[in-house]
This record gives sequence, structure tokens and C-alpha cells, in this order.
Amino acid sequence: MASTAATRTASGAVKVVKPIFSRDINEAKRRVRELYRAWYREVPNTVTLYQLDISTSQGREKVREMFNKNKHITDPRVIDMLVIKGKMELEETIHVWKQKTHVMRYFHESETPRPTDFLSKFYQGHDP
Amino acid sequence: MFLSRTIRAAVSHSAKQVRSLHQSAVRAGAGGVFVHRDTPDNNAETPFEFTPENMKRIEAIIGNYPEGHKQAATLPVLDVAQRQHGWLPISAMNKVAEVLEIPPMRVYEVATFYTMFNRQPMGKYHIQICTTTPCMLCDSDSILAAIQSKLGIKVGQTTPDKLFTLSEVECLGACVNAPMVQINDNYYEDLTTADIEQILDELKAGRMPPPGPRNGRFSCEPAGGLTSLTGPPPGPGFGVRTDL
Amino acid sequence: MLRLPAVSRAIAGVAHSKTCLAPSNNFRTSVRASSNMVEVFVDGKPVMVEPGTTVLQACEKVGVQIPRFCFHERLSVAGNCRMCLVEIERAPKPVAACAMPVMKGWNILTNSEKTRKAREGVMEFLLANHPLDCPICDQGGECDLQDQSMMFGADRSRFTEGKRAVEDKNIGPLIKTIMTRCIQCTRCVRFASEIAGVEDLGTTGRGNSMQIGTYVEKMFMSELSGNVIDVCPVGALTSKPYAFTARPWETRKTESIDVMDAVGSNIVVSTRGGEVMRVMPRLNEEVNEEWISDKTRFSYDGLKRQRLTQPMVKDASGQLVTTSWEDVLTRVAGVLQSVQGNEVAAIAGGMVDAEALVALKDLLNRLDSDNLCTEEVFPMAGAGTDMRSNYLLNSRIAGIEECDVLLLIGTNPRYEAPLFNARIRKSWLHNELQVALVGHEVDLSYSYNHLGDSTQVLKDIAAGTHPFCEVLAQAKRPVVVVGSTTLQRADGAAILNAVSTIAQNARASSGVEEGWKVLNVLHRVASQVAALDLGYKPGVEAIRNAPPKVLFLLGADGGCITRQDLPKDSFIIYQGHHGDVGAPMADIILPGAAYTEKNGTYVNTEGRAQQTRVAVTAPGMAREDWRIIRAVSELAGVTLPYDSVAEVRDRLAEVAPNLVRYDDVEQANYFKQANELAQTVDQTLLAEPLIPPQVSVKDFYMTDPISRASQTMAKCVKAVTEGADAIEEPAIC
Repeated sequence: MASTAATRTASGAVKVVKPIFSRDINEAKRRVRELYRAWYREVPNTVTLYQLDISTSQGREKVREMFNKNKHITDPRVIDMLVIKGKMELEETIHVWKQKTHVMRYFHESETPRPTDFLSKFYQGHDP
Repeated sequence: MFLSRTIRAAVSHSAKQVRSLHQSAVRAGAGGVFVHRDTPDNNAETPFEFTPENMKRIEAIIGNYPEGHKQAATLPVLDVAQRQHGWLPISAMNKVAEVLEIPPMRVYEVATFYTMFNRQPMGKYHIQICTTTPCMLCDSDSILAAIQSKLGIKVGQTTPDKLFTLSEVECLGACVNAPMVQINDNYYEDLTTADIEQILDELKAGRMPPPGPRNGRFSCEPAGGLTSLTGPPPGPGFGVRTDL
Repeated sequence: MLRLPAVSRAIAGVAHSKTCLAPSNNFRTSVRASSNMVEVFVDGKPVMVEPGTTVLQACEKVGVQIPRFCFHERLSVAGNCRMCLVEIERAPKPVAACAMPVMKGWNILTNSEKTRKAREGVMEFLLANHPLDCPICDQGGECDLQDQSMMFGADRSRFTEGKRAVEDKNIGPLIKTIMTRCIQCTRCVRFASEIAGVEDLGTTGRGNSMQIGTYVEKMFMSELSGNVIDVCPVGALTSKPYAFTARPWETRKTESIDVMDAVGSNIVVSTRGGEVMRVMPRLNEEVNEEWISDKTRFSYDGLKRQRLTQPMVKDASGQLVTTSWEDVLTRVAGVLQSVQGNEVAAIAGGMVDAEALVALKDLLNRLDSDNLCTEEVFPMAGAGTDMRSNYLLNSRIAGIEECDVLLLIGTNPRYEAPLFNARIRKSWLHNELQVALVGHEVDLSYSYNHLGDSTQVLKDIAAGTHPFCEVLAQAKRPVVVVGSTTLQRADGAAILNAVSTIAQNARASSGVEEGWKVLNVLHRVASQVAALDLGYKPGVEAIRNAPPKVLFLLGADGGCITRQDLPKDSFIIYQGHHGDVGAPMADIILPGAAYTEKNGTYVNTEGRAQQTRVAVTAPGMAREDWRIIRAVSELAGVTLPYDSVAEVRDRLAEVAPNLVRYDDVEQANYFKQANELAQTVDQTLLAEPLIPPQVSVKDFYMTDPISRASQTMAKCVKAVTEGADAIEEPAIC
């Protein structure tokens, strides 16, 4: 126990971090660009494959938006992790392991929120 | 090929013949249909009322059964109704139900079950000819043919003058005196075609020919005269040891 | 009329005590010493049974189901289908299990080679004349013959002969007959003669050409006729309105409660794709056993017609035009805010659930009004509705089986509460119940002592001068039932007083134990008891005397208040599910939900709270009733403190806790005090005879908004008045 605690403090002191893939930020950025390109190419396929009610450009816009959401991140390890996640998402999308609803969850904020108060529920329809 | 086809045709034809042998008088529709259909002479409005004598008779019949069991008198009362009217129109059945204080349906059930309740109009004389095996072997077919040609009707029909109704029935239990017919309540036995024609003539003339065997024998004695019990009956002590 | 002979009564008694879940099995005192029990074996398993138990019941006791067609728990034993043949060890022949009483030490073999062979043989004979039309048969999927031939039948038949054909009968607009499918189990015949008391069905003919029918052309018009559809084990008798509409496996079943009368029969609503396909009975020994009335069963098509599906307001030209909920609720709220106190009044109709009743009461109370009343009248003088015992069927429906003398006053239970009448008939048939009636002479399907229809008879009985008093005095367990309609006369209070005096006298003379209730009121609408429990005032007299500016009709379709009774500028709001009597005179219509479309609480005439469940969603923009009132309250600025059914029921529990104790009957008492209070009212009885509103069968079918909208019920009325041939049926099979 004591020894592991000691190593942890020692490594913290040295500040040498073990990279995931990328040794520096540029390499991480390259990986991000690769992922972005892959997504960019995949969007038209996704739209047709899943019979989405959106256009390709809307899909690409969404991809861009998702990437831009994380553009403030500079830690290559975090970037790598996000890229890994993005690749997994992409793989699931390409192989149609997802269903339409899972893809459309990227567009969640366009949904109208469900009413919570009695009167709005009443107007909207039979009580769920 | 041709041969086999004819054989098959023959076989199927005979099969049909065999099947039709299963027909009994009841299956042939002797009981009529088991639903009532209103006709001009058989509907709920057909007048039917028990005569006072019959009413008395019915009361006596009902009296035979314990209190609250009037329903038990259904059969005899229906018989009284049929004897009075000649047959059982729906109004008679309703009347019986009314007299016995039971639902009409319970009377209909009984009346349709028994073939001797006639739910169709009948002639004055109901000729029931037995054509079951013993009578058939004694040539009941010729009697039937004689009746049919004499009256000009077929089995199940009534003469236009409403005098005779002819029906073919199963064994009436007089095989010893075959062939035989039953006309209303009387058995006419040991018939020949001449006998039956004479009987029908008598009935047409309004007379009642004496029932029973037509070949001169008494009741159901052997046809060739008595073969036993010819002497007077022996007295007491017959066949007993003399020393007793 | 048939009274069972002693032997079959004993068998029926055993059948009842075996199958009856309720403790109140009372065909005979079945308490026997255990030493008296008989030990028999079922497939080697020992079981102790009472002597006289049939083989079939003994098998059922160990959980072995014997196949059967003609045997039915609630009917007499016929023993004619032979499907229940089982082998008894060391017996020469298989025996019919349904009719054979067990003997000591018998070993019943329910699955031996001989038994199985006997079943196969019987099944082969049954199928010899049964058409192979299962694909077009409405019974398909719930057919006893189908199921049992799969379980117990052979896989082939040796019959090569032609099948018998039987012509179909027209026995009315409710029951479709395909008599070729009939296997002559005679269940329908026995049902008609024993339960319904209409001896129209029977077996005619003999042998192969025996058939079930009415012999003459006649309709089977009993108020319980629909039950022969359930009783029939094959597809010979099926429902005409339901014909070719759905299959049992594609419907969703919802357990619910019937609201066509005050009995509260337990039902199952079969739905498919948001549409009620049919209504069937559900077993409840305490209420309806396993029967329901024809109105309950067949009026469901009224739920699809004449419905209010959108909110409506009356425009300048006096036309009702559809609008949105927002608009209509704002208007209602505005109207309610513009009046003060008792200027707003409400009338509740006969099919309203307790949730809506309590919500409406809370709303009006918050608006400082206490003008809440029900359409049904009940005398308020004396104890009125303060004593719960005054307006309940205190003896309970099942309690009728325990009484020995029953006095009916001014009621026709056969059409006001068919299932209650069936109980009376059952008790009359098996328990030698004596029935007497004061009121219009009607056909009750059993014999009774008609005491006359004048109020003088009541007075005489109450005074003890009538000859019937001797019968009452000798009764061990007397019951007096008065129809609610009789109490709606101008002299209702005096009648109630006379009736309660009769009941008190009968109780005193019979010396029956304390718990036995004598006085009973038979209601005819489903909502009345709940409304009275919640404190609604019965009768609209107060409203007629002091017309309000705003009148809220909650499902009030009785037509007891018309436009003429109100001032010209009064404003009428109608909330309900059918455009019937109440809606046309309204200024605003709020579309509500019918009983199949809401979770509602209904209290039957015994005071038994039961709940309906949502089987289908309400059509169009219709909403559950209490929600509409809750929404109105929010816009009117007096928000009711409940948002969900559970919260409404909490509120119900606050007001009347018995309303949420489901399937439980809260005992009511204080008969003596109620009677004493009743002495203070005006005792003069009017001379008019006591005539209930429903006298003959044609008055039975259309009594409420749903059955008035039903085509099937209209056909029934037409068939009853003009004959079966007047109905044009589409040519089907």
C-alpha cells in the first residue's frame, strides 16, 4: 500500500504522463481531422441508410457542431479519448448497430419538451 | 382401364345402395320436421277446445299423479287431445300446456319425441302397415301395393277425401300373424290382398270390419291348428305320485 | 316453472358448496362431522369428500379437470354429453363423472387406457355431426369442443357418412344460431328454464334429428338471454352484434365494472385497436355470479355513436360549434367567476364516477356554492340520506339467498336490476323463498304473492292489519326491498316511512340476529349511492325552486331540468359523453369519457365500491371527467389540489373512506333511529298505484345515454314490439 502511494506521488512529481496514442497536440489534432473526415464522408450514407428526415448538409453541420463543442480541449490524452469514443460511435453508425432513434438523438434539442404542469398536459392530450 | 372404371362405378353405386339401407321410417321423415310452421289448418289460431267428457277424463288422469306433478300427465293428455281431434295441431298442444300449467315448450318436446303423435293432418283411418322383416317375408309388399293401388296414394299421403292416411311402420309386435296392418287402434292380421281390399271397402262404406286374423285362426294360435294343449286341461293331482 | 326435486337439489347444493368461493353458500347447511366424510382415490391419490359429491367434483378437489360439455356448475346435472366418462377401478363400465356420486373407497382413474378410449369414442361421435367450419366460426379460439378435441380426441374419424344439417333459428337480434354446430348439451335449455326463467328453449325431435330450438317461431327475449352465448360450449349460439368482428386472441381484455344499472356487474371489456369489441361477464360471487344482463353485454355499440368528441360552444345564432379546449375552458372559468355563491348549481347524472363527483363538489364548494344535486330523487324528510342504511341494499345481493320471505315494494327487479332478480329466482328455486309484491303486477320469472298495487296495502302491512303480516311474522329472515323509483313520488318520504316500519316490525317479530338487515333500497342508476355518500342532495327540486344563473350538468341526461325551468339568461354547461338529452340545451359542451375510457369508482346499490379501468382512450378530444373539472378549477382561480387519480382518491378517502375500499361493503346501521326520525314526516300516502317505470321488456333496453345510442338495443326494442322478422339482418352465412 505504502509503496503504491509512494510511486503515485513520485510520478505526480515528475509530471511525465503516459500518452494514449498521441505524443503531442499536433498528433492528436491529426487524429481528430481523420475522424472528422471519416464522419464527413459517412454522413450521406447514414442519411440514406437510416432514412433520416434530414439533408446531408444538416448532418454535416451537426458533425461540425459536435466537434466544435470540444474545441477548447487541449490535453492530447483527453482528445485521444474523445476520438476513441467518436470512432466507436462511427463504427456503430456504419454497421447499423444503431437505430434511427439513436442517430436522431444528436438532434435532441430540436424536440419540444414534455409538459409537466396539469393544464398543459390536459391541453396536449390524454394523460400518459 | 375401362373395366376398372366400370367396376369402380359399380362399387360406388352399390355403396350408395348399402348406405340407403340405413334409412329407417323415422329417418325418412315419418315424424315430419321438428319445427312448427304455420299453415292454414295448423296454427296457433286453429280452434281447439276439449269436450266436457274429455275434460273430465283429463281431470281423472291428472288425479293419478301426486300434487304439483301435473306435468307427469303430459303423455296421456296429449293422447286424449289427439283422439279428440284426429291429430295434434299446435293449438291443441298449447291447450294441453294450459290445462297442465306447464310451459308450451315442454309439451312440444314430448309431442315431437313420440312418433305416434301426429303433428300433421291425418285421414279418418290411419293405416299403418308393418314392413319389418317377418312381415316382409310373408309378403307385406303385396299388401302395401294393394293398398296403394286401391287408394291411389303413396306412403305418407292422405286420400283426397281425408279418409285414409297410409304410413309404413316398423314392427308392431304381431309377427306371428304376419302380414298385418294397424288401422287406428285395430290390428288386421294374416292378410291377403283380397282381405285388405275388402277391409278398405268396408271402411269406405262406413262400417267397421272386425279386427283380428283373417285366416280363421283364433288370435295367434299356430297357423296349422293346435299342436299341443289339444285336450281338456288335466285336473288337480295330475302327474303327482299316487302314494302322496 | 320448475322447482327441482329433492334429489337434484341436493346435488345442486353440493355443486354450489364446492364451487362457491364465498362463505355464504346456503343451499343447505353443509356442516358435517369429519367422520361422515368419504375417502376416495383419484389416480391413487386419497381425498376426503362429503357423501353425495360427484366423481367430477372429487376429481376437481385434487386438481384433475375432467372434460365436460353438458355439465355446468350453476345448472342442474343433465349427464347427456358423456364426455366426462371415467373409469372406476373394478367397475364394469366407465361412468359419467358429472352425475355419479362417489362411493367409499373408489379409485377413479382419470387417465387410464379405458378412460382415454371412452373419451376418444365420445369425441368421435360428437364430431361425427359437427361441421368442420372452425375457420369461419365465431367461437374459434374459445371453443370447448375445439380445445377438448385437441386434448382428448383422436386424430381421425371413422365416419364416412354425411353430416346432419339443422336449420338455423331466428331467436332475436342478439343471439345468432348456427344449429348445425349444436352438440345438444342442453346447457342453453337448462339456463333458460333455471336461471332466466323463460322456458322457451327445448329439445324437439329424437335421435339423429333431435334439435334445440323453440319449435314455434319465437324469440328468446329474456333480459339475461346473452348468457347462453357464454354457456354454449360450441359455436351454435354466438353473439349477433359481435359476429365476424374479432377473434379472442387478438383482443385485449380489461377488467371493469358495468354502469348500466346499480348492480355493478363485473365485466371484461374486450378491445382491439382502441375499439370496444364486446363485453363479457367476470366472476364475482357476491354480485353477478357469472351472468350479466343483455343491456350490459350488448349496448357497447352505443359507445361509438352519438359521442361528444370536441368541446362546443353556442354561437350567436344558437348553433353549437366546435372549438378548442383552451377557448372553452376559459369561457367556463369566466362564467363561473362572474357569479357568486349559490348562483351556480350542478346536477349529476346516473353514470358519473365518484372521482368526477368529488371534483365537482370541491369546485362548487370553493366557489361558495352548495347547490349540488343528483337527478335521481330520494326523500329527504326524516332521516333522508343522513343515515346510510336508508338508501342502501343492506342485505346485499348475495344475502337474498339466506332470506326466507322477501317483500318487494313498487319495484320490478327483473328490469331494474336483472342480476338481483336472478338471485331472487335462484333462492326461490332452491331455498323455497317466498316472494310477495306490492306494486304493479309484472312478470318476474318466478311466482309471487301479489298483494295489490295501492298504497293502502302498504299502510295495512305497516299497521299490522294485512293478512300478509302473519307470513312476515313467521319469517325467520325477512327482507323488504323498495324500489328507488317508488320513493321518487311526491309521497316518497311517507312510503319510506311505511316501508321502514314494516321492516322494523318484521325484524322484531322474526327475532333474527342483530346483524341481519331487513330494509333495502334497490337503486337503478350506477352513480346514485356514491353521490349520496359524497353529500349530493337527491332531486332537482331545489334548483327548480331557485333557478341558478349557471347550471353545470355532469352527465345529466334524465331530462329532469329543461330550458323552460330556468330563466332565459341562465347559462348551462354540459359535461358528458353522449349527445343525448342534456347536451342539446347546453351553452357549452365539455366532452367527457364513458365508463370504458376512465379509471372510475362506482358504488353499487349495496354500497360496494368497485372501479372501472381504462379499456380504450376517449374518442377525439374527450377527457376524463375529473380532469376537465380540475382544469376548469385552475382557470377559475380555485385550483383543486389534485393532479392524478391517486390524489383524487386520497381526497375521496377523506370525504368517504368507504369509496376507496374496493370490493368491500361498508356495513350500515341505525335502522331504528332512521325509522324514529321518519315518524316526524307527513304520513299521508297518495292514492296512486305503485307502478315502476320499467314494466315490460321493451322498457328495459333503452334507459341511459349509452343504451339509447346503441343500435343493438334499438333493434331489441323493435324486435319486441314488431317481431323478429322486422329486423333486417345482413345476409351472413
